[in-house]
Amino acid sequence: MVINVAPKSTKPKDFKDDFWKSKDIKISIGEIAHDEAKGGEEDVKMGPTPKPNVTDLRSWDMKLIDRYEPFYAPFCDMCCLCTYGKCDLTEGKKGACGINIEAQQARMVLLACCIGAAAHSAHARHLLEYLIEKKGEDFPIDMGNNVDIEAPIIRTVVGIIPKTLGDLREAMDYMEEQNLHLLSSCHTGQEGSNLDFESKALHAGLMDNLGKEIGDIAQIVALNMPKGDADAPLVELGIGTIDRDKPVVLCIGHNVASGAGVIDYVEDQGIEDDVEVCGICCAAIDITRYNQHAKVVGPISKQLKFIRSGVADVIVVDEQCIRTDVLEEAKKNQAKVIATTDKMCLGLTDMTDEESDKIVSQLINNQIEGALILDPDKVGEVATKVAMQIAADRDMLKLLPDMDEIQKVAHECTECGWCTRVCPNGIPMMEAVVAAGEGDFTKMEELYDNDICYTCGRCEQECEREIPIMSIMAKIGENKLKEQKFNIRAGRGPIQDVEIRRVGAPIVLGDLPGVVAFVGCTNYPEGAEDVAKMAEEFLERNYIVVTSGCGAMTIGEYRDEEGKTLYERFSGDFDAKGLVNVGSCVSNAHIPGACIKIANIFAKKPLEGNFEEIADYILNRVGACGVAWGAYSQKAAAIATGINRWGIPVVLGPHGTKYRRLYLGRTDKEEKWQLNDIRSGDVVSGEPAPEHLLYAAENREEATVAIAKLCIRPNDTSKGRQLKLTHYIDLHRKYFGTIPEDVYKFIRVEKDIPITYKKDIKSILEEKGWEPRALPQEPSIRDFPDDSKAEIQGK
Amino acid sequence: MDIIGIDLGDLMNERVIPWQPTVIAGPKQALLVTPETAKMMLKKAKRPLFVVGPLAKEEPILTLTKEIAEHWDLPVVTTGDAYKIFKDAGLDSKQNGIVEIVNLLKDPEWKGVKGEGQHDLVMFIGCIYYIASQGLSTLKHFAPHLKTLTICKFFHSNADASFPNMKDEEWLKYLEKMKTD
Repeated sequence: MVINVAPKSTKPKDFKDDFWKSKDIKISIGEIAHDEAKGGEEDVKMGPTPKPNVTDLRSWDMKLIDRYEPFYAPFCDMCCLCTYGKCDLTEGKKGACGINIEAQQARMVLLACCIGAAAHSAHARHLLEYLIEKKGEDFPIDMGNNVDIEAPIIRTVVGIIPKTLGDLREAMDYMEEQNLHLLSSCHTGQEGSNLDFESKALHAGLMDNLGKEIGDIAQIVALNMPKGDADAPLVELGIGTIDRDKPVVLCIGHNVASGAGVIDYVEDQGIEDDVEVCGICCAAIDITRYNQHAKVVGPISKQLKFIRSGVADVIVVDEQCIRTDVLEEAKKNQAKVIATTDKMCLGLTDMTDEESDKIVSQLINNQIEGALILDPDKVGEVATKVAMQIAADRDMLKLLPDMDEIQKVAHECTECGWCTRVCPNGIPMMEAVVAAGEGDFTKMEELYDNDICYTCGRCEQECEREIPIMSIMAKIGENKLKEQKFNIRAGRGPIQDVEIRRVGAPIVLGDLPGVVAFVGCTNYPEGAEDVAKMAEEFLERNYIVVTSGCGAMTIGEYRDEEGKTLYERFSGDFDAKGLVNVGSCVSNAHIPGACIKIANIFAKKPLEGNFEEIADYILNRVGACGVAWGAYSQKAAAIATGINRWGIPVVLGPHGTKYRRLYLGRTDKEEKWQLNDIRSGDVVSGEPAPEHLLYAAENREEATVAIAKLCIRPNDTSKGRQLKLTHYIDLHRKYFGTIPEDVYKFIRVEKDIPITYKKDIKSILEEKGWEPRALPQEPSIRDFPDDSKAEIQGK
Repeated sequence: MDIIGIDLGDLMNERVIPWQPTVIAGPKQALLVTPETAKMMLKKAKRPLFVVGPLAKEEPILTLTKEIAEHWDLPVVTTGDAYKIFKDAGLDSKQNGIVEIVNLLKDPEWKGVKGEGQHDLVMFIGCIYYIASQGLSTLKHFAPHLKTLTICKFFHSNADASFPNMKDEEWLKYLEKMKTD
């Protein structure tokens, strides 16, 4: 019995026990959500958990983490969060507050998820209020003719059907309240159980998903971004696409408001052909969703390279993932910085209420080192005017040292090796610098290509000779400018309902081998090409590949032997062989959104207030797998944890272990994989599918095989299982040279055996003493009849 | 002590600062070991395990790793994509993700790769430094039933025992010594 002592959310609930879930009991619970747009004809029955409080989905979380036990890899042996400490938590020691190492790790994960959720949601709140101010709170949420389920996460979690921008406030209020309670539990002397910290982290992840959906819906409808358009246009991508002879305004960050302000001003003035407006990170994605004349410089890994190149005359920063030393870097080549949100003010004077021309004058005359302007329209005017006035004078500043000079400074290298040691990936920077000192720039070029060096700059500040390694890297890039021209399909936003109708059945039955989503940041262990190659591998195997943010840009930077990008080779349809760029970080919400829609549109599961049933459906039937290969920020922690709560597994790159916690399954513990067949009422043995919920792979090859395996689901038909196993075995043979020895665990009946591998697999089955088992008709991990589970466990 | 302008203290520190210096986690640091001490640990262990990562795929490390495994008759787990090349080279192993094998190793009830019981010593080579460091941290905190030993050319502060930071030439000599009693 769980005693709920947490503060109630704005919508109290009456039913917290499980009795209503029992078979054969049909009762109506909670409020009715009215679909007024359809004349109020569709009254939607509210499920059991609208606006779930911190503990309301705890039982679901405990089911998940009973099967996928938290795996902790402490990043630090101590706790330094309070003044009792630092406390040493090694060898079973507890902190002065009583916390142990497991709970401390889980607490830090929760903290990261709260930060991530806050970043997305504060972004969403800012956008929402800004857009309501511009368009009015009654501005309709119209996602186009092909999207009726406009807000699957809001519907499922909050239990409302938002019709206007103003309606989104209710979801926002709820999310903010929840995040406050969650953050509170990180305080010293609150939660003491690592498992409850995990449950809270999962809740924070869910809130993150919610915040993202609010933000993206608001900007899609109010800024008229693509609404599920599979044929969204290809837009230019790459450092080489930026016309250096024009004034350049660079937008960095995630909040489209200020970038849109720049584009609006440029359009209003009719000077689109005279100014380059471009972006880095998700700001780039979203300004191209707003206006396809804007250009994408590239993902976050291009940030320091591009700033150092001096090409940007004005740098407009908004929020998230921006270098916090951007002002210092900009000063080096006299670029001007405009900060535009309360999240990042950079110590600059607030000029919001000043006349635009006065700000322009002060910036041009170096009377101020930058400006904080909190009005996006004014940002547009000031940034454009400044860029146009200083561009000509900055021509010489756009020239990096010539190659002779680079060779001379690189020759100063003492070969101490610390540049390599402090590199997050330990890349051979010293060898590249030494070679450059001898006039051989090829090694440096190799590090530049595909962002093997993602220019964090740690090497440069470590150098005892102060060799400007990042400037050398930027210069090397200039030598390859002509090659740095790619494209990306503009972010399309949601998946259309009609697409879900088309692929829902093939996905759930396993005829379509899976949906693989490449998301997240670009601190890739061995460069960006790994992500593109994984995407290519799964596209060629008929998977649906979804992507967003920096991952989407990375995929666009890869060309095949014929010089085509993956966006040119594959359509933007949410279907087999489709490469679907949903948009920016906040657009990630459409990925679980698509899975939710499958449960609703294909399986007719009601959404409103019905989280647990939907998540259980996704876990057991929707063969989707997320990949965050360059996991980096707290946002990525929140994204992955939220995705996990919906029952979707995620594969991280090797840096992902630094999040401190994974969710790993144990295939040797058969009792963990039992399933409740809801239709028959029987408890049946299941397979480890998906085997892990949050996994970190050491390299691309391992990840590729893991992804294929993680798309297997208990609900697969035999035909679907054959198909999925064929891909799993093919890839295992390709990268490991053998048929996987665990393949027998996924064979339920002989019909599951892929024909191509029948002989080999039969031999394995014989060796393992395999026996056929029943296929569940409606697999679930909920509502086990306790007695029968105990009976089976007893065996 | 200062000899011809080089501070030997600095030189020693250089060998035992974690290769990536920021992985320092706290007060508990690995013991710096030579091949002789490492071999004593292997001799003392009842059920040792050798975990081999993808950075050991290149020669001459591949052959040295294989010879060390064979000399000590060690069961081997390969991580990342190391399995195939070692199989082709004639070394049988069990393929596991590094996080998977660490997850199994931290469970005192796990029966080991041979089903004979949990291992009491795990020796690592060739795993990517920072993910290995995280895995070693897991074992440091949650696997008091076993010791960890790393024989990479990088000092791993999260291990129980580690070779120091070395240049290739010295490391190869260390590995050569590991092939003998």
